[in-house]
Amino acid sequence: MISQEIVLEAKDLSKRYEDGQLALDHIHLTLRRGQIYSLLGANGAGKTTTINLFLDFLKPTTGQAFVCGIDVEKEPLEAKKHLAFVSENVMLYGNFTARQNLEFFAKLGGRSLTKEEVYSLLRRVSLQEKAFEQRVKSFSKGMRQKVGLAIAIAKDSDVILLDEPTSGLDPKAAEEFQVILKELRAEGKGILMSTHDIFRAQEVADKVGIMKEGRLVLERSREELYEEDLVKIYLDYMGSPCSMGERGGRA
Amino acid sequence: MIAPLVKKEILSNLLSYKFIVVFLMTILLTALSMGIMYRDFDARYADYMLIRPGAGDLIALTPPNPFSVLARGLDESIGRSYEINIHDIVVRSGQKSNNLIFRFFPTPDLLYTVQVVLSLAALLFGFDQVCREREQGTLKLLLSHSVSRGELLLSKWVGNFLTLVLPFLTVFLLALLLLQLDPRFSLSWEGWLRLGLMLFLFLLYVALFLSLGILVSTLAKRAATSLVILLFLWAALVFLLPNLTTLAARQMVEVPSVRGLSEKRQQIWTREILLGIREFDPKAGQQGVASSWRRHFDVVNHEQDAMEEEYRHRFGRLVSVAKSLNRLSPVASFVYGVNAVAGTGIEEESRYKEEVLRYKNRVYKGLMDKSMLGKEASFSAFHYRYRSLGETFREGLWFDLFWLALFTFLFVVASAVAFLRYDVR
Repeated sequence: MISQEIVLEAKDLSKRYEDGQLALDHIHLTLRRGQIYSLLGANGAGKTTTINLFLDFLKPTTGQAFVCGIDVEKEPLEAKKHLAFVSENVMLYGNFTARQNLEFFAKLGGRSLTKEEVYSLLRRVSLQEKAFEQRVKSFSKGMRQKVGLAIAIAKDSDVILLDEPTSGLDPKAAEEFQVILKELRAEGKGILMSTHDIFRAQEVADKVGIMKEGRLVLERSREELYEEDLVKIYLDYMGSPCSMGERGGRA
Repeated sequence: MIAPLVKKEILSNLLSYKFIVVFLMTILLTALSMGIMYRDFDARYADYMLIRPGAGDLIALTPPNPFSVLARGLDESIGRSYEINIHDIVVRSGQKSNNLIFRFFPTPDLLYTVQVVLSLAALLFGFDQVCREREQGTLKLLLSHSVSRGELLLSKWVGNFLTLVLPFLTVFLLALLLLQLDPRFSLSWEGWLRLGLMLFLFLLYVALFLSLGILVSTLAKRAATSLVILLFLWAALVFLLPNLTTLAARQMVEVPSVRGLSEKRQQIWTREILLGIREFDPKAGQQGVASSWRRHFDVVNHEQDAMEEEYRHRFGRLVSVAKSLNRLSPVASFVYGVNAVAGTGIEEESRYKEEVLRYKNRVYKGLMDKSMLGKEASFSAFHYRYRSLGETFREGLWFDLFWLALFTFLFVVASAVAFLRYDVR
């Protein structure tokens, strides 16, 4: 039985850039252990900014970001011990092999892996065996994403942040990715994933949030989505001026 | 946490083409430089053995400095032979290098190799350390781990520094061991201390340029921009600033030409000889004639010494102004520091000339006493003692060391500040 503790929390989180642009506007969100939270929204809606604030790549203008109860701004290194991150386009050290990359990042995450453990992780993310000892500069995007996911799994953290991880992947690779996400959820990881893929979000997510112009304009649980058409809701929001609470949205 | 990061930097460098190029270049140039300079030293030593003064020869000459193999500086000038006679010091010859190519290009000693080649190699290692990670996207992945930016920067510094200096150190120490087979290179404890200090200066200099490279890589958004900026800075620091500031110093301080000085000395001599002939009185007796000539020689000696003193004063001022301006570039501090430690610097040359002048005055007094008082004149051979390390340190080396360390420290601190504010997105 997985506990329901909150592993990720945004409290009144805002980000205004130096040029005055408001990237994130007072959002609140929570993610519990064993949950997948999908953030949907158009480009520039604030999905990546939210993730960047949890990673301490940006400092919030107002509000706080918490990882396992740790304030990211106050104790970024401590918070990052509980986080793993997979970006939209995972970039690795091209001169290193997949194994060397995984070994290195696992060490940064505080884990020393044996060669067999490394291979086992790479098998788990369905990387071809012959690629284990190949330099990653020759890897396709899909292969790099797999190694990136293996790095995140190796860290064995409480939370995994995924920034559009399946964008540009072929359907088979995206499907494999989704299977692994479900396994990780079953292991009790909290997963926050930004995506454009509404169908996959609806299929895998326990919670879906729609962002528009820096605001979290709608939040729905899996159960609620059984009764509603997410695609329709999403398209409605994308076409409408930003207004929280309109059309039955609760955020 | 820093150990895996340093290991990654080293491994990453070892697998790159730039390391292979820099590694081969460092090994080849260091070995070549030390080989060439050893042969040059050997030739100059052979010259010295040929012209070294015998018993009773009034010649000031000192053997070539073994450290000139590493930093030749003004050793050729220090090794000139000066013939002392009653009215002047005549420069007879120097331990000139047989290698005429040196006249066209800078001497390819180890100092030059480090000054030009290793500094460039350090920039090649440093220019993309931060911006390339950002460009290729690995910086986000790195910083998504529990790694502080300070640790990341420090690991880059340490990893790249080790990769840069290890090939250099290996070939340098190997060459030193080989030199130890030659008895002319057997060193006292102070000699080893000098060697250690020179090595420290070499490493500090490499650290300076690596820090500069990393600093620019944290300020520039793109690796290509960083490279262009650093190449410009390198040319400015290594060549432009030292040369331009030396020219500026020459405009600021007027020093009479050596040729003019020589002409003036000759004029004084001729004038006093003519006066002496005019005043010649055969009735004055031997003692009287000798006394008259001694008066004229004293005038020559006194005026020439005063001229020399004035020249040396002005030249010293020029050197002082030039060095102060040169030090706008820390490269100048490095060159002055290494030459000072090697005993081939400008202060050493100046001190050598002072010693020659003192020797000349001792010889002059001895000759005069012999002619006037009939004393038996015996002249001890000229012997030059190089400045001790303590004296070298007090007379400017401390400042050059401090200046180099200060620049390095400032570059490191500035890159840390810039990286803390760096937008990793």
